[in-house]
Amino acid sequence: MNKTVLIIITLGLIVVIGIIFSSGQGSGSAQNVEIRDGIQYVTINAKGGYFPKVSTAKAGIPTKLIVKTDGTFDCSAALSVRSAGFQEILPQTGETEIDLGIPKAGEPLEGICGMGMYSFLVNF
Amino acid sequence: MPKKYTFHVSGTHCASCKILIEDVLKEQDFVRGVEVDLDNETVEIETESNQNPEEIAAALTAKIKPNGYMLSVEKNIEEKKPDNVIWQALPLGLAFLALFFILQKSGILNFGIGGKTTPATSFIIGLVASVSSCLAVVGGLVLSLSAKISEDDKSDTKTFLLFHGGRLASFALLGGVLGLAGNAIGINFTFTAILGIVASVVMLLLGLHLLGVFSRNKIVLSSGIFQNINSVFRKVEHKTFTPLLIGFGTFFLPCGFTQSMQVVALSSGSFVTGFLIMFAFALGTLPVLLLLSFGSASFAHSKYAPLFFKSAGVIVLGLGIFALLAGLAGLGIISPLFNI
Repeated sequence: MNKTVLIIITLGLIVVIGIIFSSGQGSGSAQNVEIRDGIQYVTINAKGGYFPKVSTAKAGIPTKLIVKTDGTFDCSAALSVRSAGFQEILPQTGETEIDLGIPKAGEPLEGICGMGMYSFLVNF
Repeated sequence: MPKKYTFHVSGTHCASCKILIEDVLKEQDFVRGVEVDLDNETVEIETESNQNPEEIAAALTAKIKPNGYMLSVEKNIEEKKPDNVIWQALPLGLAFLALFFILQKSGILNFGIGGKTTPATSFIIGLVASVSSCLAVVGGLVLSLSAKISEDDKSDTKTFLLFHGGRLASFALLGGVLGLAGNAIGINFTFTAILGIVASVVMLLLGLHLLGVFSRNKIVLSSGIFQNINSVFRKVEHKTFTPLLIGFGTFFLPCGFTQSMQVVALSSGSFVTGFLIMFAFALGTLPVLLLLSFGSASFAHSKYAPLFFKSAGVIVLGLGIFALLAGLAGLGIISPLFNI
């Protein structure tokens, strides 16, 4: 094949990889936040990544993060929420409750898997 | 009266090429002495033949052609070829990377396996893990080391068998120990993340090496350091102990699947169960990893070797960058850049 064609293919592939990496971010906030008995619960599903990736919750009230796993074996089972001092390998199936205390406004919470390829964000 | 001729040689991609060429050419009865200069890509021949240089070059080329080398009187027009190889290798390597990341993104690999984890299910999880994002670290490392070993050494099978054997044995044993000892080994996030970063740096170095960035005359200034690194790798690779040790080390490399299985082994509370589960898991990851090392060996010894080494370099570099950024994000040093 001639060099120009190969260069064009190369550039095309770089664009494709760029799209793969940048797409699928911030797929809107789902109904994953509820307040019961004065405590705010934020639910995140962990399996092949964290869903929803971005959530918005209220600041200033006691908040708990619930991470649900369902036959999860991949990296998302190895969860680390640095600001809450949480680093654990989640049970394969079940719910894990993480106490976030009373979050302050404007301080988003970030959770990331052990290898760093999946993450989620909760905005307060 | 023997005469001395200097020929240009092409196809010398490794240190052991010198020995091979000299061995083959010395066997020819009209050849008195052979001296290969890898840096200048020349061969000095002392001969009693009365043929002209062109004829000698042709006769000797016939002997070493099966190994992929060529002698010529004029500096070969090959000069242009490496340039073209990289343009073939780039799209090839990038295509592989794109396919790999599409596979991760597709969610095909995220099917759940419910119920109790048995050795049978952990085998299946191993199969899945071996094409998952874990491949970025473990597979990238295996590919880069395999390519490097094949490049230096024709007898690479023993090294590979030691690596894979060591890997299977250490997974089984450590699994058993986890089952027996409960939390004693403690799967530490920071430790695995740092190990992952070390692995990705090794991948980046080997990837650059495979691409020929460190090759002769390219980087004059820093070549001293790189040559040291190279000679360390060379020393390290070929000992019996090292492939075993690297195989052992893969137990601790960051991979969500491995860590999940370690927790299963941990909670089993029995040596036998932990042993069987981790062994079955490692066995599940084996086919893909075997394919990577023996596949790269067979390419490395074929006529596609230059293209293979460069493509492998592109792939390893890509995976290395991915693993490095992910590892740094995992440690909280940088914010996560991507969501696969």
